[in-house]
Amino acid sequence: MARDLAIDLGTANTLVYMKGRGIVLNEPSVIALNRQTGEVLATGREAWQMIGRTPGYIVAVRPLRGGAITDFEITERMIRLLLQRVGVSRFTRPKVVICVPSAITEVERRAVTDAARRAGAADANLIEQPMAAAIGADLPIDEPVGNMVIDIGGGTSETAIISLGGIVALEAVRVGSFDIDAAIQNYVRREHGIAIGERTAEEIKVAIGSADPTHDENQAEVRGRDLMTGLPKTVLLTPEEVRFAIEDVISSIVASVIRCLSKAPPELSQDFLVRGMYLVGGGGLLRGLAERIERETQVPVRMSNVPLEAVVLGAGHVIEHYEALKGMFMGARR
Amino acid sequence: MIVALSVLAIVVVAVILGLALRGRSKEDGVDSFRRQIDALSPEARKPTVDQVKSAERDADDDDSSTS
Repeated sequence: MARDLAIDLGTANTLVYMKGRGIVLNEPSVIALNRQTGEVLATGREAWQMIGRTPGYIVAVRPLRGGAITDFEITERMIRLLLQRVGVSRFTRPKVVICVPSAITEVERRAVTDAARRAGAADANLIEQPMAAAIGADLPIDEPVGNMVIDIGGGTSETAIISLGGIVALEAVRVGSFDIDAAIQNYVRREHGIAIGERTAEEIKVAIGSADPTHDENQAEVRGRDLMTGLPKTVLLTPEEVRFAIEDVISSIVASVIRCLSKAPPELSQDFLVRGMYLVGGGGLLRGLAERIERETQVPVRMSNVPLEAVVLGAGHVIEHYEALKGMFMGARR
Repeated sequence: MIVALSVLAIVVVAVILGLALRGRSKEDGVDSFRRQIDALSPEARKPTVDQVKSAERDADDDDSSTS
């Protein structure tokens, strides 16, 4: 008998929760393929290490971009391999709950459920990421009070106001931490004339990236390929430069939070001043982001205790109480 | 006469059935909402969170014993 599963199918990472067991898999959403034969060579962490470092016949790709499936066939293969790794076979077909961005289109929604069914799921249902994040972050969403959650993922940033187990207001932008990495890559190319890979850009973001000035303002040495000479080159990058580079992305995220706040009914709006908003998702770990949102909205921002696992934990809770919570699936309320 | 009585009986049974089902569906709505809210309570969520915390503790213990 298969154990039912909850999957956080993120642009950056995929997490799997198994009913009665907890989180059984946490890997980057990357797959490495042989370009000529189409054969899968690696998935997850192993494939992530190959990004930008492969010979011509191997391609390491993220099949999800902006929270959406960009390559249906590759995503299906990735889901099938992930399910195999947690013990799903042709004979054990579990029920699966998958977390997806709330702004997903009908076509994308069908693509995800079809991919899961073809990969071995007996039944596949979807739940909005911010709703799952609020459940996983242990917010009192069963009460008639305003709970606000900001989920900043790899490809999407979503803000939701939740009360009495339902979404009251929602705002989503297809901008996330990968756009921050891309902005750093573009800045270094434009201002310093060197090309860097996406993994290097991510390392810069983690090392000196911030959304607001911090106490620790160290410079970083960046190594890449000189665009003029083609030779390896090292330049120094300051945190101020990185802040300038990522300003557009940060502004877009903050603006979406403000738009969501402005949609809140007045009775719930006053709750936020006392209870604050909760930040989840890997993008929320960017230094100074909570302070920046707090400064611009005048609402306290609190970091979840489980920022990276909140979404899959919430979906995991739904799979544990499947019958009672099946009304929360996307489509069930429409 | 018999036909008229039969039709009347069918109509009465249909009305009673319709009213009973209407009442039940209202009750189901209340019940399923109550069940959903109860399942979202902190007490209901505690086992899920505890399960993950204990798994993390086990993983930490494994790491410290191997290092």
